Amino acid sequence: MDVSQYLEIFLDETDEHLQNLNTQILLLEQEPDNMDTINEIFRAAHSLKGMAGTMGYKRMQNLTHDMENVFSEVRNGNIKVKAEMIDVVFQCLDALEEYNTNIRESADEGTNDNEPLIKQLNDILNEGKGDTEEEPSGETEPAAQPASASGDKKWLEIKLGDTERTVIKEAIKQGKNVYGLTVSIQESCILKAARAFLVFKAIEEDGEVIVSDPPTQEIEDEKFGWDFSLVVVSDSPLDKVIAAAKNVSEIQDVLGDVLDPDSESDAPAKQEAAEKHEEGQTAPAPAAPAPAAPANTGKKTEEKKPVANKPVVNRTVRVDIEKLDTLMNLVSELIIAKNSLVSASAVSGTSSTAVNEQIEYLESVTTSLHESVMKVRMVPIESTVSKFPRMVRDLQKKLGKKMELYMSGEETELDRTVVDEIGDPLMHLLRNSADHGLESAEVRKERGKPEVGSIFLDAYQDGNNVVIEVRDDGNGIDTQAVRNKAIERGVITPEQAENMSEKDSIELLFNAGFSTAKVVSDVSGRGVGLDVVKSKIEALSGEVEVKSKLGEGSSWIIRLPLTLAIIQALMVDIGNEKYAISLGAIQTIEDIPPQNVKLVQAKEVIQLRDLVIPLIRLNEILDIESKKDPDENMVVVIVKKGDKLAGLVVDELIGQQEIVIKPLGKYVSKCKIISGATVLGDGEVALILDANTLI
Amino acid sequence: MEELKVAGGSTQFIVIKLGDEQYGIDIKYIDNIVRMQHITRVPKVDSFLKGVINLRGEVIPVMSIRIKMGLEPDEETKSSRIIILKLGMNGLIGVIVDEVKEVVTLESDQIEKIAYDSKEERESFLCGVGKCAGGLISLLDLNAVILENI
Repeated sequence: MDVSQYLEIFLDETDEHLQNLNTQILLLEQEPDNMDTINEIFRAAHSLKGMAGTMGYKRMQNLTHDMENVFSEVRNGNIKVKAEMIDVVFQCLDALEEYNTNIRESADEGTNDNEPLIKQLNDILNEGKGDTEEEPSGETEPAAQPASASGDKKWLEIKLGDTERTVIKEAIKQGKNVYGLTVSIQESCILKAARAFLVFKAIEEDGEVIVSDPPTQEIEDEKFGWDFSLVVVSDSPLDKVIAAAKNVSEIQDVLGDVLDPDSESDAPAKQEAAEKHEEGQTAPAPAAPAPAAPANTGKKTEEKKPVANKPVVNRTVRVDIEKLDTLMNLVSELIIAKNSLVSASAVSGTSSTAVNEQIEYLESVTTSLHESVMKVRMVPIESTVSKFPRMVRDLQKKLGKKMELYMSGEETELDRTVVDEIGDPLMHLLRNSADHGLESAEVRKERGKPEVGSIFLDAYQDGNNVVIEVRDDGNGIDTQAVRNKAIERGVITPEQAENMSEKDSIELLFNAGFSTAKVVSDVSGRGVGLDVVKSKIEALSGEVEVKSKLGEGSSWIIRLPLTLAIIQALMVDIGNEKYAISLGAIQTIEDIPPQNVKLVQAKEVIQLRDLVIPLIRLNEILDIESKKDPDENMVVVIVKKGDKLAGLVVDELIGQQEIVIKPLGKYVSKCKIISGATVLGDGEVALILDANTLI
Repeated sequence: MEELKVAGGSTQFIVIKLGDEQYGIDIKYIDNIVRMQHITRVPKVDSFLKGVINLRGEVIPVMSIRIKMGLEPDEETKSSRIIILKLGMNGLIGVIVDEVKEVVTLESDQIEKIAYDSKEERESFLCGVGKCAGGLISLLDLNAVILENI
């Protein structure tokens, strides 16, 4: 069967399951008795195994299978959750991740069998099973079927209701035979529900299936492991029934025996099995028939019934991001067309009230359409940040420091493309905080801080921006050390260092090849981090700001635009040319008389409410001849980058407009102060000024 | 122009005029020919890049072959056209020409390779000369004209 077409879905879902497992196992570490978590882990591991099996990734399947076994025992209370076990499981997740990466790259899972891991899992399993009556299983297929507590005769576990009992008794009275059957399906089978159906059909040709475990409905939904049990009433001898079932392809084995309904309810072992099954019915696990368990867990599971039973209804559709891009482009075209219509009706003078009304209506529709399309592209940053708790946990072990990560605002949404890109910079910042920011436990104690360091990751929306803040209560940035290092590296001269403000010193950190860590560690300190962070964020039209107080901690504030394709902009006239300035960058617009312009160090500045703001004459920068009388009041657009301000002198303001950003392409990429172009309503092209590079 | 030789057969060229001289552009690179329109100047770029235009919603850069080849700057007339070229992965680019004359089909024996020792600078932008009824056509080496200096 060709499964390559499902590869994309497989990879996506595997990512999701692995992420889910990571999160849940972290939870489990904190609350080892939480049945919800254990069930969820079991479910995810099981789906993962099923998917890997379907796709033919044997190694991945084996590893998940063993992992699933461990959790199955945990769920039954046979194994207690221990720190070592969590470590091993995390290693398994890493190994699975590796398989996934290999598959993504080459559609092949690689050749790493991860035998040590599998062995460790089996050790855990065997250790846990030492107490139970069961013998430790062999090396190759350890506890292949957790349900083998009552041997292979699983049909003995089937609990018969009164109705079934009556039917069976009736059948025996009529001289028919009653058999218990357990059918195992080959693990390579892809459509096991279909195989099960064929088995049912084959048996029903000369008999009748009275009851099955799991129930027929679940078998049809593939909610069973690699085997199922039946109670069959038939005229034919046992051999014939078994042969009929075995005839179905991909059936590994069929075991069966004559069933005596009367003896069933008496034997205590069976009683337990029966009770177990009752529990299975109330909380049907999506997995193999649950193994025999101490009776007391039965209650526990029952309490969780609503959770376990809740059908996982996914009311979402996976859409290729390219299709969304196309949709977005079309919406952009529509907005341009709408703008053209607006300016055309203004020019032609035909604008009656009716036309205006319709145009206004059109405007509101296109705006909502744009918003909806944008929303479709928005995903919560959760998908990116949810891997961090695990990372911090690992860092904690590696660095030997105690720390805790607190996250908030994971539901904050950003454009999909931004969310995908933001992971690495955030990871750098977190590692940075953990490695350089937080002090060791001893130092923290001396300073009167709690021994466990805190790192915070907060995300929230702020106007048209999304802010992500990484904070720690560590040492803060030692600006003196930064300056010394900078001098040593030849980035600045000692004289420069003397006049440097705290802020500028911190900025030095973003220099390429700069690292203040005295020891280069595995975690961070190669000095390639922060400049990469900065350039990556700026590539996303965002900015990074640092606040730090020595001894108290530092915070890194990342500001990102909500969307990259369509922005609100201020249109301005300079000479005969039109330019757009993103509204997000604009602080205020001022009307300044020419005599208010002062010179500081031969540079023009203006003073505005206690602030000295440098002036940038756009006509000079853009090589345009200004049409404005130099004695007239100047129109100054105050723009902001971080907390730096600058005043851009323009000729006239045209107004605010929604513009669609179009790339300028490779041929004109030399011009850094232009970040893109847009098509105006009249079909002309206007360039978008990048305020960030001007300051 | 390797492809041209491999094909062995005929190649179609669009004949354009820059000043008094006729030039040929291989038709396979041509995406579109549009009338002269307003070009938005882009500051701080090479002088031969005249700016950008709007071609059905796409923003496309436009360059002047004349300036690139060291000829007199373009003079916009009624017959001026912008030829939109598609070259490999770099996207579309427009070039300004004085006039678009016709399409000619040249057999491979009608094309003569040009000698590279030529002193004249602009001949390094050529990849051959075509001979046909309309006279001599200098065949432009688009890779040299456009991709150089980017």
